[in-house]
Amino acid sequence: MGIVETRNLVFEYIRRDEDGNAEGVTRAIDGVTLDIKKGQFIAILGGNGSGKSTLAKHINAILYPTEGAVYVNGKDTSAPENLWDVRQEAGMVFQNPDNQIIANVVEEDVGFGPENMGVPTNEIWERVEEALNAVGMKAYRKHSPNRLSGGQKQRVAIAGVLAMHPKCIIMDEPTAMLDPEGRYEVIRAARALNQVENVTIILITHYMNEVVFADQVYVMDHGHVAMRGTPREIFSKVDELKKLRLDVPQPTLLAHELQKKGLKLPKGILDRKELIGSLKSAMEDSVKKQNVASRAGNKAIDHEKKNADLQEALILDHVNYVYSTGTSEEIHALTDVSLTINKGEFIGLIGHTGSGKSTFVQHLNGIIKATSGHVYYKGQDIYDKSYNLKELRSHVGLVFQYPEHQLFEETVFKDVCFGPKNLGLTDKEVALRAFEALKAVNLPDEYFYVSPFELSGGQKRRVAIAGVLAMKPDILILDEPTAGLDPQGRDEILDLVKRLREEQNITVILVSHSMEDVANYVDRILVLEHGSILMDGSPKEVFQNVDELERIGLRAPEVTYIMRDLKNEGYDVDSGITTVDEAVHEILSAEGRIN
Amino acid sequence: MLRDITLGQYYQTDSVLHRMDPRTKLVGTLIYIVSLFIFRNAGAFLIATVFLFAVIKMSKVPFKYMMRGMKSIFMLLMLTVVFNLFLTPGIPLVTFWKLTISEEGLRIAVFTAIRLVYLIIGASIMTLTTTPNHLTDGMESLMGPMKVFKVPVHEVAMMMSIALRFIPILLEETDKIMKAQAARGADFEHGSIIKRAKSLVPILVPLFVSAFRRANDLAMAMEARCYRGGDGRTKMKPLKYEVRDKVSYVVLIAYFVLVIVAGRFSPV
Repeated sequence: MGIVETRNLVFEYIRRDEDGNAEGVTRAIDGVTLDIKKGQFIAILGGNGSGKSTLAKHINAILYPTEGAVYVNGKDTSAPENLWDVRQEAGMVFQNPDNQIIANVVEEDVGFGPENMGVPTNEIWERVEEALNAVGMKAYRKHSPNRLSGGQKQRVAIAGVLAMHPKCIIMDEPTAMLDPEGRYEVIRAARALNQVENVTIILITHYMNEVVFADQVYVMDHGHVAMRGTPREIFSKVDELKKLRLDVPQPTLLAHELQKKGLKLPKGILDRKELIGSLKSAMEDSVKKQNVASRAGNKAIDHEKKNADLQEALILDHVNYVYSTGTSEEIHALTDVSLTINKGEFIGLIGHTGSGKSTFVQHLNGIIKATSGHVYYKGQDIYDKSYNLKELRSHVGLVFQYPEHQLFEETVFKDVCFGPKNLGLTDKEVALRAFEALKAVNLPDEYFYVSPFELSGGQKRRVAIAGVLAMKPDILILDEPTAGLDPQGRDEILDLVKRLREEQNITVILVSHSMEDVANYVDRILVLEHGSILMDGSPKEVFQNVDELERIGLRAPEVTYIMRDLKNEGYDVDSGITTVDEAVHEILSAEGRIN
Repeated sequence: MLRDITLGQYYQTDSVLHRMDPRTKLVGTLIYIVSLFIFRNAGAFLIATVFLFAVIKMSKVPFKYMMRGMKSIFMLLMLTVVFNLFLTPGIPLVTFWKLTISEEGLRIAVFTAIRLVYLIIGASIMTLTTTPNHLTDGMESLMGPMKVFKVPVHEVAMMMSIALRFIPILLEETDKIMKAQAARGADFEHGSIIKRAKSLVPILVPLFVSAFRRANDLAMAMEARCYRGGDGRTKMKPLKYEVRDKVSYVVLIAYFVLVIVAGRFSPV
């Protein structure tokens, strides 16, 4: 028997209406049978609402099976006498880093579990030391959790579980709210625990690149296990994964697309190295160093098109923003930022956490006032005393990160009305705009008059975006609009933004941590570093400077690395390619199947 | 803006005060506060001042940082001073229009202002040098005997500790929600009182929703880590009196006696 075993697990909960009357029964888990061996690294994938978190909570005895059974280390989790053993042996790390740290000092939080278990004081100290060491957080033991980064907080949470000496750790989307750096830290810590300490890890996620090295992958869908196998087996079924709201890492996707076009590549390619290796044997050597001259000269065109008939929408002129923190030092959040945002542009704003992205976008609608410098909207200085900032905010819409957290009205429709109402429009106009905005975000009519709190995560986010759209902005700024959504949810939101831009000719500024998303959608990228604009150019131009980007903790899209590697191997391909579609075309044309 | 409140925040550094047993600091703060309310003259005030500054120095917390917390009580302070100044009957000192400042009024206003400021500084020194967990540990231990009367001492201490941890998080969240609603054209500063009160709804509802969500998450995280109340729990940092605590108690008693004596015999 394995360390964690579920037998035909079923979990149902009763949906209730507002008065507490039962409306019906929802089956969140529908017959799941798993057997997880000691020391394995298991990944559970699944879209939002697939039941993966519910499953995780069963392993830690936070939820009990409606039918079937769950065993942890041979103990039935639903037997009351096993409760504390189960919770100690199967530790759990949750999604939100803030909501699982109990104490106000790192080491005290790590000691919380052992304290509850009644471990003697001396031993608690030993365990805390050990656990903090294992996740590389010893240097921060005296710090307040509030000052740590998301990745650091999650590592503290892992240490907190580790100090209880569990046999297995369940991580319920531990990276969903983190930036790429934090995600990397957490996954590295999890892998180290698995390999060095031989702790069984069950990682729940919808980031596909995190499961590449798992021993076994389960894909959940509607409460049951839809696929199971090694990462290679799972990733060879790209189309099936897409149906389950998931995607695959870019190297896998590129290989899949090339296969479809007839290139002979093995199935289930996991990473860049494998892809380059197989591509080398699949592509004929003739491609190498063949008619280089005839294929150059494509690049210069982009530049010429720029500057022609562009209309300026927003101008930032030597904007500085300085604020003082608690401890007498001044922080230069923005330093001498000057740039022009033109009408109709789709701009991607990238930079690592703390580079000033949020501060920057809040300057654009006047929520933050620059310490010095000017911001002009349509030629008018927004810091002029006579300037109507409220009106500016209707022209420059800002969708904050996790915008669904700002919903407050009784119904979706009322909530979307909030913005236009503040503009002082007539009731008729307000209703019309709310209706249009909800239509624009594709929310089905039956949800218009329900409470926003009853919607799913992706729907809530669309309502929140509609709330800003109803102000009819010419410029729409979205701060990490895809955070926490599964791959399909992410694509839906980004496609929605793209469509809005095309249909309503809105200027869009997308703040994102995902280089792949930025490369796929925008036509101009701003790179922020320490509050100044480090780069400003087309995706091709910006991602050309891979070394410079890596220096400041960013990357290029995976596909750009692939093309660069191919070029370094001597193939005649454009190394400045940033999307999978382009790469497919480039490789095939280099291979001589097109043209 | 909201983040500037330092009251109740912990300041990370290493000093004698930081290392001191929280019970000593709690009792000390209590003695100090009592001493503030029994002094009636300049002599005792001088002793309290010297004592306060000595403690500030020992805490190694920058004085400027401490004073930032005072901003939040400035209005309250002014109000107290003004009321005391004008509404205390006694020998008139200055009169203009219908307002009279009496000698007693001036005296009471000055002392009340000093008391209030000293009280806040004294209390903030305690919270600045004691981690909230330590603080609640101290309270739990000092109130331990109350358990006999079925007072849920551990639970209260745990609740306080959690509340303290989430104050900065919720303040930040409030800031964010306000900005987000402002981006949708909300106006919190203009209009009648009723209008302004109404404008709080779009802030308070999301804030409460978030607080409940966080509470729910936290409860789950605590249960997952085997939390089951105070029984059978051990302590990572059990409270133990050291030599410095014993010395502190002697100093505290000496200080208290001095204030009383000065209060009696000071000429001013």
